[in-house]
Amino acid sequence: MSRWRSLDERERRLQALREEASPGADPAGPRGRTVDGEGVRPEGAPFPRASAATGYYGLPLLKEPQWTWEVPLYFFVGGAAGAAAVIGAASRLAGGGRSSAAGGGFGGELARDARWIATGGGALSGALLVADLGRPERFLHMLRVFKPQSPMSVGAWTLTAFSSAAAAATFADLVRHRYGSRLPVRVLGNAGDALAAATGLGMASYTGVLIGATVVPVWNRSVRVLPIHFAASGLASAVALLELAGHRHRALNRLGLAAAAVEVGTGAWHELQDVRALRPLKAGGSGAVVRSGGVLSGPVTLALRLLGARRAAAVAALAGSLLTRYGWMAAGRASARDPELPLQPGSGPLTNPS
Amino acid sequence: MSPPRTAGFLTDSTLCIGCKACEVACKEWNEVPEDGLLWSGLSYDNTCSLGASTWRHVKFVEQEPAVGHGGNDPDRLSWQFSSDVCKHCEVAGCLEACPTGAIVRTEMGGVFVQSDVCNGCGYCVVGCPFGVVAKREGDGRAFKCTFCYDRQKAGLEPACAKVCPTESILFGELDELRQRADERVAALHRAGMDDATLWDPRHTSVEGTHAIFVVRGDPRAYNLPPDPEVPTVHQRDGWRAAAVAAAGMAALAALAFLAGGGESGGATSS
Amino acid sequence: MPGLGTTYGRGGATTAQQDLANADAILVMGSSMAENHPVGFQWVMEARERGAQVIHVDPRFTRTSAMADLWVPLRAGTDVAFLGGLVHHALEHDHVFRDYVVHYTNAATLLRDDLEDTEDLGGLFSGWDEERQAYDPETWLYRGAGIKRRPPEEGEEAEGQEPEAGGEAKDQGGEAQVLGDTERDPTLEHPRCVFQVLRRHFSRYTPEMVERTCGVPRDAFLRIAETFCSASGRERTGAICYAVGWTQHSTGVQIIRTAAILQLLLGNTGRPGGGVLALRGHASIQGSTDIPTLYDILPGYLPMPFLQADSHSLEHYVHHHRSESGWWTNFEKYAVSLLKAYYGEAATADNEFGFQWLPRVDGDHSHFGYWLEMADGKLEGLFVIGQNPAVGAANSGLQRSALAQLDWLVVRDLVETETASFWRDSPEVERGELVPEEIGTEVFLLPAAGHAEKEGSFTNTQRLLQWHEKAVEPPGDCRSEPWFVYHLGRLLQQKAADGRRRRDEPLRALTWDYPLEGEQQEPEVEAVLREINGWTVADGRLVSGFTELQADGSTACGCWIYSGVFPAEGENRAHSREPKGPYGHGWGFAWPADRRILYNRASADPEGRPWSERKRLVWWDEAARRWTGDDVPDFTTDKPPGYRPGDGTEGDDALGGDRPFIMQGDGLGWIWVATGLKDGPLPTHYEPLESVVDNPLYPIQVNPAADRMERPDNPYAAHRDPRYPYVLTTYRLTEHHTAGGMSRPLAHLAELQPELFCEISPQLARAIGAVHGGWATVTTPRGVLEARVQVTARMPPITVEGRTVHQVGLPYHWGSKGLVRGDIVNDLLALSEEPNVRIMETKGLVCDVRPGRRPRGRHAVPGDRPGRREVQR
Ligand SMILES: Nc1nc2c(c(=O)[nH]1)N[C@H]1C(S)=C(S)[C@@H](COP(=O)(O)OP(=O)(O)OC[C@H]3O[C@@H](n4cnc5c(=O)[nH]c(N)nc54)[C@H](O)[C@@H]3O)O[C@H]1N2
Ligand SMILES: Nc1nc2c(c(=O)[nH]1)N[C@H]1C(S)=C(S)[C@@H](COP(=O)(O)OP(=O)(O)OC[C@H]3O[C@@H](n4cnc5c(=O)[nH]c(N)nc54)[C@H](O)[C@@H]3O)O[C@H]1N2
Ligand code: SF4
Ligand code: SF4
Ligand code: SF4
Ligand code: SF4
Ligand code: SF4
Ligand SMILES: [Mo]
Repeated sequence: MSRWRSLDERERRLQALREEASPGADPAGPRGRTVDGEGVRPEGAPFPRASAATGYYGLPLLKEPQWTWEVPLYFFVGGAAGAAAVIGAASRLAGGGRSSAAGGGFGGELARDARWIATGGGALSGALLVADLGRPERFLHMLRVFKPQSPMSVGAWTLTAFSSAAAAATFADLVRHRYGSRLPVRVLGNAGDALAAATGLGMASYTGVLIGATVVPVWNRSVRVLPIHFAASGLASAVALLELAGHRHRALNRLGLAAAAVEVGTGAWHELQDVRALRPLKAGGSGAVVRSGGVLSGPVTLALRLLGARRAAAVAALAGSLLTRYGWMAAGRASARDPELPLQPGSGPLTNPS
Repeated sequence: MSPPRTAGFLTDSTLCIGCKACEVACKEWNEVPEDGLLWSGLSYDNTCSLGASTWRHVKFVEQEPAVGHGGNDPDRLSWQFSSDVCKHCEVAGCLEACPTGAIVRTEMGGVFVQSDVCNGCGYCVVGCPFGVVAKREGDGRAFKCTFCYDRQKAGLEPACAKVCPTESILFGELDELRQRADERVAALHRAGMDDATLWDPRHTSVEGTHAIFVVRGDPRAYNLPPDPEVPTVHQRDGWRAAAVAAAGMAALAALAFLAGGGESGGATSS
Repeated sequence: MPGLGTTYGRGGATTAQQDLANADAILVMGSSMAENHPVGFQWVMEARERGAQVIHVDPRFTRTSAMADLWVPLRAGTDVAFLGGLVHHALEHDHVFRDYVVHYTNAATLLRDDLEDTEDLGGLFSGWDEERQAYDPETWLYRGAGIKRRPPEEGEEAEGQEPEAGGEAKDQGGEAQVLGDTERDPTLEHPRCVFQVLRRHFSRYTPEMVERTCGVPRDAFLRIAETFCSASGRERTGAICYAVGWTQHSTGVQIIRTAAILQLLLGNTGRPGGGVLALRGHASIQGSTDIPTLYDILPGYLPMPFLQADSHSLEHYVHHHRSESGWWTNFEKYAVSLLKAYYGEAATADNEFGFQWLPRVDGDHSHFGYWLEMADGKLEGLFVIGQNPAVGAANSGLQRSALAQLDWLVVRDLVETETASFWRDSPEVERGELVPEEIGTEVFLLPAAGHAEKEGSFTNTQRLLQWHEKAVEPPGDCRSEPWFVYHLGRLLQQKAADGRRRRDEPLRALTWDYPLEGEQQEPEVEAVLREINGWTVADGRLVSGFTELQADGSTACGCWIYSGVFPAEGENRAHSREPKGPYGHGWGFAWPADRRILYNRASADPEGRPWSERKRLVWWDEAARRWTGDDVPDFTTDKPPGYRPGDGTEGDDALGGDRPFIMQGDGLGWIWVATGLKDGPLPTHYEPLESVVDNPLYPIQVNPAADRMERPDNPYAAHRDPRYPYVLTTYRLTEHHTAGGMSRPLAHLAELQPELFCEISPQLARAIGAVHGGWATVTTPRGVLEARVQVTARMPPITVEGRTVHQVGLPYHWGSKGLVRGDIVNDLLALSEEPNVRIMETKGLVCDVRPGRRPRGRHAVPGDRPGRREVQR
């Protein structure tokens, strides 16, 4: 992966060198000090030096994630879809929701809309991944093997199971509408809903493991929190979508409140950690996105819900969740660019050098 | 020569003259495309890093003077050359991560990407603790050093080791190379190069690599990490947290509905 | 390589790269061997691993320096001073290997009383002819020796003034002198013996002087001097490797001479781990001097006849180049055999074997010589085959402009070079100095076959001929050089068939009958090698070596020194691939007679016993009454050590059994070169033609015999010109090849060094406000260019006479074509000629550096053109 990909990128790199080099640059900087005297090896000579501290000319050791915009969007959609399936199933368990016009379907309209979200989300997720891979058949390679030690493999299978289950359930529901509820249809519907709910739980949380179990410092240092963070984010957006679809069930508000509360928690956790590795969550562009995402899905949503402004809360939660996903992706890139972290002794997960 | 049972590279930067023949030979043999024509301003190194289209990379390490003789000038500066390559890890992050099984362990112990299987998911890229494997732009699939699997099968040593004029790149049986490395470091110390060290991270979760390096000074100046970790070590924590999340979500959902209440009259400000 | 030729007798590396592994110390100077001869450098590394001390002396800290135990920067162009310092050190701290020096060198030989040294004449030797701007070497002769003067031309009553062949036979020791029975003083005490003259000549080359001149701190110098000089004596040897960091100076030959003298004093010649290794350039560049592409020598280092001096008749020519004693007594055999190879049947005793058909040298027809004529519109057409002077030659701006004066230009190359495209994309066109519409030159670009697309032999840096096969057919219209030259010659012969002009005769007489093969009608190259090896005319039987060659026209041989490479039908020794023994005999063929280390008789003491077990190479086997050992003896194998020549003996018989340098008239290594060099019998430090300091050693600033070729389009900076305060030197990068035609178009090389950069010290960067990664504009009186700034401690400023001298480094591989492009460094260089080999000075001139990019577009002034200036020296 060549150095800087374009001419201007190279010029930017050289500009950085020049600024460090030019007289009067930060005297503390390793190459900033101006050179006087005729010594053969001037102190802080104005040219790049490799060192234990800065590594090899400060070039990053790790590669940045090469995922394109589709992937964070998939995290968002997949998470919401998964959570929706869970909500749908739960509403059926409780038998809640206005029974639909035709009477006694698989749950009420809430369950049906949740099912639709799950199904649509599942389909869209597949589409997004294919888009990232480039060619459709490439997704099938995922299904050559099942590798439990590869979160990507686990995720691919989860997504496949989830979207088929959700689709099956929706199919069953449609059939039931036309031709009435016969046994096989009911079995298919119930099984579909059940499986979708089960895998939905995975859909909402596995992406946290996916990026957590990588070499990217900011991600793997957060591996204990990310799944919960992402699950809450997914739950919040599922709730929000249903609410925006016009559902007023109190359970949704309770779930929204709970999700927001968790988001406040995870946000706080990150803010309180003082670890160099987590800097991208707080500093720079990535920091801005992550933080605004966090504020929207955490405190803001919470407050709005407490004030009873559910629609506004829903919008905030959705926006927050979307920002969160992109924010974490950006943070991952920034983190991989940090030349010094991977060179720190004991840079493993179990120790947290700051 | 018959291929070694456990193939390895010992790259000795105290013998490297920075001629880049290894880099070129690798590209010639494996038909690796050009990797950008941009000047880096970093010593004589315009390659800068390994990647999808650079499988051997000669580093030009200019640093504060290194002690000892046998190359480089104590009063002025030290200029070391070191040829980097895929480490062919014992526990390989890329291989663990690969969902398609495209990355396999060869019979000689190398880590090999089957490009006909790779689907470009890019997960190996964030699985490699050494920033080696990467997706090639335009192509979309991941590429890296093949350990010259084809040559090894044919009983030839890898192209890079073959062309090295100073035997800075040694190819052979890993254990023997480890032994030679220890002897070499001892010899260098005797010769006054007491800053010579062997980089061979056997103590970490990577459990050792098939490419080990003799360098002078701190290996970190060569971007050789002291404690590389294979990311799979994070999975236990990750899945545990995922389980908690799932359980929590399920419980919350159930409770939320069982608590009943149906429609809320709550004013929907919109 | 006259530096080696005049000292030892042959113009080639005295040793083999593999033998470097046997050295106890290796001085690499004037070369970045690791970068430019990486494969050969493995044996330097091996020596280092075996405990040898590796020393690199170079203005820059290079990849070679990084491998060395000792490195010290010196001011570009001061190598004679540095090496002279080493000679001084060896003499004054008795590191001299006395037994060796007394018996094997001319140190004991007495010189004439009317000789005056540079110490007496302030930097000149006696014999300087101000009006001819040349030396008359008469006073340099050995005591009792006479010089041959050419007989009077018509209309001249007195005999001609200038001595014959004043250095024309530069690669054979001391032509044109009659040694007589020279007087010697084995005690080396006589004030007029070479040893004492040498001592006096270098008496002022003290460590202090070295510091003042080269900017090398005293103690650093002494450390190097001790380290290298102690690699001497019976048990130890040291080797010296050099390349164009030495040759490309106005004193290039004398730099090499100094090294050769040092190696004689230390007894490091002809012994394992010793010698002077000339690292040659292009594949087979050694071959291109053995079978020369040069204008003034013929194959096997036979001098080209000169119009004035020696060309009246074959007898005359032979008389003046044949020496009474030593190997060159055989001169006539080699000359006549060459003529027989050229003209076959047509060459008979009656017509002097066609000697009169040979062209005569009537002036300076070196590259620069004829290029200036071209610039002045005196040349009609030009063939450029495998060269890219628009980038590679000094003052390339002048080179390109001159091309526009031609009627036609043929370029044969693998790619379209800047030379072929000068008329459309040269800087001159960019600046509007050349307008394509107005250029009359018709350019023919012919595609050439690369080395893998044709068979033939390379002669490498250690005189080793190695055959290479054709791997693939050349694509499309690509053809080999043999094909081109053969068919061109064939057509010329056809035109000459019934021509009336005198110049048609030699064409008609020429033997041009190589068998053709394939539908390309490719001449059979092995047939050429057979002709080079030579055969007996009567039955066409291949000769086994040059000892079989005759002067009566009964043998033909294309290059006597290569004779033996094809000793019998089907036995192409260049093609042999079974190395045996420590020196790999059986792999290829090293001229002469497969001797890998020249003058190896000197590896044994005068009685023929190895100087030491550790350093044994060849020795006298009393039982077998012959010389034997690990190498082919470079000596008459049955001549016992005790042999002493009787009166009236000639040639090799006139040399005793203890005279290892068999090419020389006296069989000795020549510390003192009486004739053969145009700029003095001993090396003398002169400043580069452009310099920022006054010559600290002599009132004479620059080499008096060097040719500055100064003219408005080849201007020089004034002495200590304030506008050009910095020293400039140029060099190569491993990643590219010379003028770039073979590297810039190749992605896998181009990407490794994509841009032209200049290397400057942090101090200089600071002084001029240039920053790393930015741009700088470099100017000389000849040209201007822009380059990226590479600020690095590898290019340290040095202190000369309390003054800081900044040096600027530029690699010269870029041009206007290929994947990576950049300004042409040679636009900055002056076209000048070292007196003996007429090479330009690329390694030591002056320049200015400023931050920022160069001016662009029409009429952007290339440097300044101050026009003619008084030549100061
Ligand atoms: N990779 C590669 N190899 C090559 C070539 C190539 O282009 N690329 N070219 C081939 C050819 S044609 C040739 S002739 C050889 C040339 O081989 P080299 O002579 O090694 O080539 P250069 O780099 O031109 O010069 C060598 C060194 O001379 C130093 N130098 C400059 N000025 C002075 C001086 O005044 N005194 C001393 N002592 N040193 C000085 C330079 O800093 C440089 O490090 O290389 C051959 N090999
Ligand atoms: N400033 C500066 N200038 C220098 C030097 C320096 O050190 N400093 N070094 C000088 C030295 S030592 C040299 S040797 C010159 C080199 O200068 P040049 O010889 O002019 O440059 P090259 O690029 O080597 O030119 C060789 C050309 O031959 C072509 N070629 C290769 N193989 C074949 C073949 O089989 N047939 C044919 N017909 N063509 C072929 C290549 O494509 C290339 O274009 O540069 C000299 N110029
Ligand atoms: S170095 Fe990276 S790419 Fe190579 S085997 Fe190890 S993990 Fe895989
Ligand atoms: S990109 Fe290819 S090799 Fe890398 S993990 Fe994905 S499928 Fe495996
Ligand atoms: S082993 Fe083969 S693929 Fe790997 S770096 Fe060496 S040459 Fe390239
Ligand atoms: S080929 Fe050998 S010497 Fe040359 S750069 Fe590579 S490792 Fe170093
Ligand atoms: S390019 Fe050829 S000649 Fe030059 S070092 Fe390499 S192998 Fe030797
Ligand atoms: Mo050359």
